[in-house]
Amino acid sequence: MHEFSICQGLVKAILSELEKLNPPNPKLQKASVVIGRLRQIIPETLQFAYEILTKETAIAGSTIEIISAPILAKCLKCGWESEIKEHNFRCHKCGSGEIELSGGMELYLNNLTVEKESEILR
Amino acid sequence: MEIKVYRDLMGENEKWAIKTRQLLAENNCVMFNLIGGPGCGKTTLLEKMAGRLGKNLRFAVLEGDIETTRDAERLAALEIPVSQLLTGGACHLEAKMVHYALADFNLEKLDIVIVENVGNLVCPAEFDVGEKAKIAVLSVTEGEEKPLKYPLLFREAAALVLTKTDLLPHLKFNKEACLDNVRRINATLPVFPVSATQETGLTEFIAWITKQPAGLK
Repeated sequence: MHEFSICQGLVKAILSELEKLNPPNPKLQKASVVIGRLRQIIPETLQFAYEILTKETAIAGSTIEIISAPILAKCLKCGWESEIKEHNFRCHKCGSGEIELSGGMELYLNNLTVEKESEILR
Repeated sequence: MEIKVYRDLMGENEKWAIKTRQLLAENNCVMFNLIGGPGCGKTTLLEKMAGRLGKNLRFAVLEGDIETTRDAERLAALEIPVSQLLTGGACHLEAKMVHYALADFNLEKLDIVIVENVGNLVCPAEFDVGEKAKIAVLSVTEGEEKPLKYPLLFREAAALVLTKTDLLPHLKFNKEACLDNVRRINATLPVFPVSATQETGLTEFIAWITKQPAGLK
Protein backbone atom coordinates (compact mmCIF):
# COMPACT_ATOMS: atom_id res chain seq x y z
CA MET A 1 0.00 0.00 0.00
CA HIS A 2 2.93 2.36 -0.50
CA GLU A 3 0.92 3.81 -3.40
CA PHE A 4 -0.80 6.07 -0.87
CA SER A 5 2.49 7.34 0.47
CA ILE A 6 3.79 7.98 -3.07
CA CYS A 7 0.49 9.60 -4.04
CA GLN A 8 0.73 12.04 -1.12
CA GLY A 9 4.01 13.27 -2.61
CA LEU A 10 2.43 13.38 -6.05
CA VAL A 11 -0.50 15.55 -4.93
CA LYS A 12 1.88 17.89 -3.09
CA ALA A 13 4.11 18.13 -6.19
CA ILE A 14 1.16 18.88 -8.49
CA LEU A 15 -0.19 21.62 -6.19
CA SER A 16 3.21 23.28 -5.92
CA GLU A 17 3.79 23.12 -9.71
CA LEU A 18 0.37 24.66 -10.38
CA GLU A 19 1.19 27.48 -8.02
CA LYS A 20 4.31 28.34 -10.03
CA LEU A 21 2.25 29.07 -13.16
CA ASN A 22 1.13 32.49 -14.35
CA PRO A 23 -1.73 33.01 -13.71
CA PRO A 24 -1.27 30.65 -10.75
CA ASN A 25 -3.41 27.60 -10.00
CA PRO A 26 -5.24 27.04 -13.30
CA LYS A 27 -7.79 24.22 -13.28
CA LEU A 28 -6.02 20.89 -13.71
CA GLN A 29 -7.45 18.37 -16.16
CA LYS A 30 -4.80 15.70 -16.14
CA ALA A 31 -1.40 14.96 -14.64
CA SER A 32 0.85 12.41 -16.27
CA VAL A 33 3.25 10.32 -14.21
CA VAL A 34 6.07 8.11 -15.48
CA ILE A 35 6.65 4.91 -13.49
CA GLY A 36 9.41 2.40 -14.20
CA ARG A 37 8.40 -1.25 -14.47
CA LEU A 38 10.81 -2.30 -11.74
CA ARG A 39 8.86 -0.23 -9.24
CA GLN A 40 6.14 -2.31 -7.72
CA ILE A 41 3.43 0.28 -8.03
CA ILE A 42 -0.03 -0.96 -8.94
CA PRO A 43 -1.60 1.57 -11.34
CA GLU A 44 -5.17 0.89 -10.14
CA THR A 45 -4.16 1.43 -6.51
CA LEU A 46 -2.38 4.67 -7.40
CA GLN A 47 -5.47 5.83 -9.32
CA PHE A 48 -7.64 5.00 -6.31
CA ALA A 49 -5.27 6.79 -3.93
CA TYR A 50 -5.34 9.84 -6.22
CA GLU A 51 -9.12 9.97 -6.16
CA ILE A 52 -9.19 9.77 -2.36
CA LEU A 53 -6.32 12.16 -1.69
CA THR A 54 -7.50 14.89 -4.07
CA LYS A 55 -11.04 15.00 -2.63
CA GLU A 56 -11.81 18.50 -1.34
CA THR A 57 -8.60 19.91 -2.87
CA ALA A 58 -8.28 22.35 -5.78
CA ILE A 59 -7.44 19.44 -8.09
CA ALA A 60 -10.45 17.25 -7.24
CA GLY A 61 -11.94 15.76 -10.40
CA SER A 62 -8.65 15.77 -12.31
CA THR A 63 -7.20 12.47 -13.53
CA ILE A 64 -3.79 10.88 -13.65
CA GLU A 65 -2.29 9.17 -16.63
CA ILE A 66 0.31 6.53 -15.79
CA ILE A 67 3.05 5.97 -18.35
CA SER A 68 5.00 2.77 -17.81
CA ALA A 69 8.75 2.93 -18.53
CA PRO A 70 10.64 -0.22 -19.60
CA ILE A 71 13.52 -1.81 -17.66
CA LEU A 72 16.60 -0.99 -19.74
CA ALA A 73 20.03 -2.49 -19.25
CA LYS A 74 23.54 -2.24 -20.59
CA CYS A 75 25.99 -5.12 -20.41
CA LEU A 76 29.29 -4.06 -18.82
CA LYS A 77 31.12 -6.89 -20.60
CA CYS A 78 30.01 -6.70 -24.25
CA GLY A 79 28.10 -3.42 -24.43
CA TRP A 80 24.73 -5.00 -25.34
CA GLU A 81 21.89 -2.59 -24.62
CA SER A 82 18.23 -3.48 -24.57
CA GLU A 83 15.08 -4.05 -22.58
CA ILE A 84 14.94 -6.60 -19.76
CA LYS A 85 11.99 -8.92 -20.20
CA GLU A 86 10.55 -11.78 -18.13
CA HIS A 87 12.80 -10.92 -15.19
CA ASN A 88 15.94 -12.13 -16.87
CA PHE A 89 18.52 -9.62 -15.64
CA ARG A 90 21.37 -11.01 -17.70
CA CYS A 91 22.91 -9.88 -20.93
CA HIS A 92 20.79 -11.43 -23.65
CA LYS A 93 23.84 -11.60 -25.92
CA CYS A 94 26.82 -12.86 -23.87
CA GLY A 95 24.96 -14.07 -20.76
CA SER A 96 26.95 -11.93 -18.31
CA GLY A 97 25.21 -10.90 -15.11
CA GLU A 98 27.26 -7.73 -14.89
CA ILE A 99 24.69 -5.31 -16.21
CA GLU A 100 23.86 -1.72 -15.41
CA LEU A 101 20.25 -0.58 -15.39
CA SER A 102 19.48 2.65 -17.21
CA GLY A 103 15.71 2.52 -16.92
CA GLY A 104 12.94 0.91 -14.91
CA MET A 105 13.18 2.92 -11.69
CA GLU A 106 11.57 6.12 -12.99
CA LEU A 107 9.06 7.84 -10.75
CA TYR A 108 8.33 11.38 -11.78
CA LEU A 109 5.59 13.84 -12.58
CA ASN A 110 5.95 14.34 -16.33
CA ASN A 111 3.43 16.97 -17.34
CA LEU A 112 0.25 18.77 -16.40
CA THR A 113 -2.69 19.49 -18.68
CA VAL A 114 -4.51 22.64 -17.58
CA GLU A 115 -7.65 24.33 -18.90
CA LYS A 116 -6.29 27.77 -19.78
CA GLU A 117 -3.15 29.18 -21.34
CA SER A 118 -0.49 29.54 -18.64
CA GLU A 119 3.18 30.28 -18.62
CA ILE A 120 5.79 28.78 -16.37
CA LEU A 121 7.36 31.12 -13.81
CA ARG A 122 10.55 29.76 -12.34
CA MET B 1 -2.66 23.31 -22.51
CA GLU B 2 0.12 20.91 -21.61
CA ILE B 3 2.95 21.96 -19.29
CA LYS B 4 6.16 19.96 -19.07
CA VAL B 5 7.21 19.48 -15.45
CA TYR B 6 9.63 16.57 -14.93
CA ARG B 7 9.63 16.45 -11.12
CA ASP B 8 11.04 13.50 -9.18
CA LEU B 9 8.45 12.08 -6.78
CA MET B 10 11.05 10.50 -4.50
CA GLY B 11 12.79 13.88 -4.12
CA GLU B 12 11.45 14.60 -0.62
CA ASN B 13 12.48 11.15 0.67
CA GLU B 14 15.86 11.46 -1.02
CA LYS B 15 16.52 14.81 0.74
CA TRP B 16 16.22 13.10 4.13
CA ALA B 17 18.23 10.07 2.99
CA ILE B 18 21.09 12.39 1.96
CA LYS B 19 20.96 14.16 5.35
CA THR B 20 21.14 10.81 7.14
CA ARG B 21 24.03 9.65 4.99
CA GLN B 22 25.96 12.82 5.85
CA LEU B 23 25.19 12.46 9.56
CA LEU B 24 26.39 8.84 9.56
CA ALA B 25 29.54 9.66 7.58
CA GLU B 26 30.42 12.45 10.04
CA ASN B 27 30.17 9.91 12.85
CA ASN B 28 32.05 7.21 10.97
CA CYS B 29 29.05 4.93 11.32
CA VAL B 30 27.64 2.43 8.78
CA MET B 31 23.91 1.78 8.48
CA PHE B 32 22.25 -1.26 6.89
CA ASN B 33 18.62 -1.70 5.92
CA LEU B 34 17.45 -5.25 6.63
CA ILE B 35 14.45 -6.23 4.50
CA GLY B 36 12.47 -9.47 4.44
CA GLY B 37 8.97 -10.88 4.80
CA PRO B 38 7.19 -11.29 8.15
CA GLY B 39 8.58 -14.23 10.09
CA CYS B 40 11.65 -14.77 7.90
CA GLY B 41 13.90 -14.53 10.95
CA LYS B 42 15.19 -10.95 10.89
CA THR B 43 15.01 -10.42 14.65
CA THR B 44 16.49 -13.83 15.49
CA LEU B 45 19.34 -13.11 13.07
CA LEU B 46 19.97 -9.80 14.85
CA GLU B 47 19.85 -11.46 18.28
CA LYS B 48 22.54 -13.91 17.24
CA MET B 49 24.58 -11.19 15.53
CA ALA B 50 24.42 -9.01 18.63
CA GLY B 51 26.35 -11.55 20.67
CA ARG B 52 29.09 -11.88 18.08
CA LEU B 53 29.29 -8.33 16.71
CA GLY B 54 29.16 -6.85 20.18
CA LYS B 55 32.60 -8.23 20.98
CA ASN B 56 34.39 -6.14 18.35
CA LEU B 57 32.01 -3.44 17.20
CA ARG B 58 29.55 -1.06 18.78
CA PHE B 59 26.19 -1.85 17.25
CA ALA B 60 22.60 -0.55 17.55
CA VAL B 61 19.27 -1.56 16.06
CA LEU B 62 16.43 0.58 14.81
CA GLU B 63 13.30 -1.56 14.86
CA GLY B 64 10.53 -0.81 12.40
CA ASP B 65 7.18 -2.42 13.12
CA ILE B 66 3.55 -1.72 12.38
CA GLU B 67 2.53 -2.56 15.96
CA THR B 68 4.04 -3.67 19.29
CA THR B 69 7.47 -3.23 20.82
CA ARG B 70 8.06 -7.01 21.10
CA ASP B 71 11.06 -7.11 18.74
CA ALA B 72 12.72 -4.12 20.41
CA GLU B 73 12.24 -5.78 23.82
CA ARG B 74 13.90 -8.97 22.58
CA LEU B 75 16.95 -7.00 21.45
CA ALA B 76 17.06 -4.65 24.45
CA ALA B 77 17.31 -7.77 26.65
CA LEU B 78 20.70 -8.36 25.02
CA GLU B 79 21.83 -4.91 26.17
CA ILE B 80 22.29 -3.37 22.77
CA PRO B 81 20.94 0.12 22.07
CA VAL B 82 17.51 -0.25 20.42
CA SER B 83 15.05 2.33 19.20
CA GLN B 84 11.53 1.38 18.14
CA LEU B 85 9.72 3.01 15.22
CA LEU B 86 6.02 2.19 15.08
CA THR B 87 4.49 2.98 11.72
CA GLY B 88 0.89 2.51 12.90
CA GLY B 89 -0.18 0.71 9.75
CA ALA B 90 2.33 1.94 7.18
CA CYS B 91 4.01 -0.88 5.31
CA HIS B 92 7.54 0.54 5.17
CA LEU B 93 9.96 3.02 6.74
CA GLU B 94 10.75 6.32 5.04
CA ALA B 95 13.93 8.36 5.26
CA LYS B 96 12.48 11.13 7.44
CA MET B 97 11.28 8.65 10.11
CA VAL B 98 14.68 7.00 10.25
CA HIS B 99 16.49 10.35 10.40
CA TYR B 100 14.53 11.42 13.48
CA ALA B 101 14.83 8.00 15.13
CA LEU B 102 18.62 8.15 14.83
CA ALA B 103 18.53 11.04 17.33
CA ASP B 104 17.87 8.36 20.00
CA PHE B 105 21.42 7.07 19.56
CA ASN B 106 24.78 8.55 20.39
CA LEU B 107 26.17 7.92 16.90
CA GLU B 108 29.66 8.96 17.93
CA LYS B 109 29.78 5.88 20.10
CA LEU B 110 28.51 3.49 17.42
CA ASP B 111 30.11 1.68 14.48
CA ILE B 112 27.05 0.02 12.96
CA VAL B 113 23.31 0.73 12.93
CA ILE B 114 20.99 -1.91 11.54
CA VAL B 115 17.49 -0.86 10.55
CA GLU B 116 15.10 -3.79 10.75
CA ASN B 117 12.46 -2.70 8.28
CA VAL B 118 8.77 -3.60 8.49
CA GLY B 119 8.28 -7.25 7.47
CA ASN B 120 7.41 -6.89 3.80
CA LEU B 121 9.17 -7.78 0.54
CA VAL B 122 7.54 -5.08 -1.55
CA CYS B 123 7.34 -1.53 -0.20
CA PRO B 124 10.57 -1.25 1.85
CA ALA B 125 12.60 -1.98 -1.30
CA GLU B 126 11.30 1.24 -2.87
CA PHE B 127 12.52 3.60 -0.16
CA ASP B 128 16.08 4.72 0.46
CA VAL B 129 16.37 5.46 4.19
CA GLY B 130 19.96 6.67 3.99
CA GLU B 131 21.57 3.25 4.36
CA LYS B 132 24.94 2.14 3.07
CA ALA B 133 23.33 -1.03 1.74
CA LYS B 134 20.09 -2.96 1.74
CA ILE B 135 20.32 -6.56 2.93
CA ALA B 136 17.60 -8.96 1.80
CA VAL B 137 16.53 -11.75 4.15
CA LEU B 138 14.74 -14.79 2.74
CA SER B 139 13.93 -17.94 4.70
CA VAL B 140 13.91 -21.41 3.16
CA THR B 141 10.30 -21.83 4.29
CA GLU B 142 9.14 -19.12 1.87
CA GLY B 143 9.68 -20.90 -1.44
CA GLU B 144 12.16 -20.74 -4.31
CA GLU B 145 10.18 -18.30 -6.44
CA LYS B 146 10.43 -15.28 -4.15
CA PRO B 147 13.31 -13.58 -6.03
CA LEU B 148 11.26 -13.70 -9.25
CA LYS B 149 8.12 -12.46 -7.51
CA TYR B 150 9.87 -9.56 -5.78
CA PRO B 151 12.65 -8.63 -8.20
CA LEU B 152 13.17 -5.08 -6.95
CA LEU B 153 14.38 -6.14 -3.50
CA PHE B 154 16.82 -8.66 -4.97
CA ARG B 155 18.11 -6.03 -7.43
CA GLU B 156 18.46 -3.35 -4.76
CA ALA B 157 20.10 -5.58 -2.14
CA ALA B 158 23.88 -5.71 -1.71
CA ALA B 159 23.66 -9.09 0.06
CA LEU B 160 21.15 -11.85 0.67
CA VAL B 161 20.87 -13.86 3.89
CA LEU B 162 19.14 -17.20 3.35
CA THR B 163 17.82 -18.09 6.80
CA LYS B 164 16.50 -21.19 8.60
CA THR B 165 18.78 -23.51 6.61
CA ASP B 166 18.60 -26.05 9.47
CA LEU B 167 15.04 -26.76 8.29
CA LEU B 168 16.17 -27.82 4.77
CA PRO B 169 16.03 -31.60 5.48
CA HIS B 170 12.34 -31.24 6.40
CA LEU B 171 11.28 -29.15 3.40
CA LYS B 172 10.73 -29.58 -0.32
CA PHE B 173 12.63 -26.31 -0.81
CA ASN B 174 15.13 -26.63 -3.66
CA LYS B 175 18.05 -24.45 -2.64
CA GLU B 176 19.77 -24.60 -6.04
CA ALA B 177 16.58 -23.56 -7.84
CA CYS B 178 16.22 -20.66 -5.42
CA LEU B 179 19.81 -19.56 -6.00
CA ASP B 180 19.27 -19.82 -9.78
CA ASN B 181 16.32 -17.45 -9.40
CA VAL B 182 18.45 -15.09 -7.32
CA ARG B 183 21.15 -15.09 -10.02
CA ARG B 184 18.58 -14.49 -12.73
CA ILE B 185 17.66 -11.23 -10.98
CA ASN B 186 21.08 -10.28 -9.64
CA ALA B 187 23.99 -12.45 -10.78
CA THR B 188 26.59 -10.78 -8.57
CA LEU B 189 24.60 -10.77 -5.29
CA PRO B 190 26.55 -12.42 -2.45
CA VAL B 191 24.41 -15.05 -0.67
CA PHE B 192 24.94 -16.09 2.96
CA PRO B 193 23.13 -19.29 4.01
CA VAL B 194 22.54 -19.03 7.75
CA SER B 195 20.89 -20.98 10.53
CA ALA B 196 20.58 -18.56 13.41
CA THR B 197 19.32 -21.20 15.84
CA GLN B 198 22.17 -23.60 15.00
CA GLU B 199 24.56 -20.65 14.67
CA THR B 200 25.95 -21.69 11.29
CA GLY B 201 26.96 -19.27 8.54
CA LEU B 202 26.95 -16.26 10.87
CA THR B 203 30.73 -15.80 10.76
CA GLU B 204 30.77 -15.30 6.98
CA PHE B 205 27.87 -12.86 7.04
CA ILE B 206 29.37 -10.85 9.91
CA ALA B 207 32.70 -10.72 8.07
CA TRP B 208 30.90 -9.20 5.07
CA ILE B 209 29.09 -6.65 7.26
CA THR B 210 32.25 -5.54 9.04
CA LYS B 211 34.07 -5.17 5.70
CA GLN B 212 31.68 -2.47 4.46
CA PRO B 213 33.44 0.88 4.88
CA ALA B 214 31.84 3.91 6.52
CA GLY B 215 31.29 7.00 4.41
CA LEU B 216 28.89 8.19 1.75
CA LYS B 217 27.41 5.65 -0.65
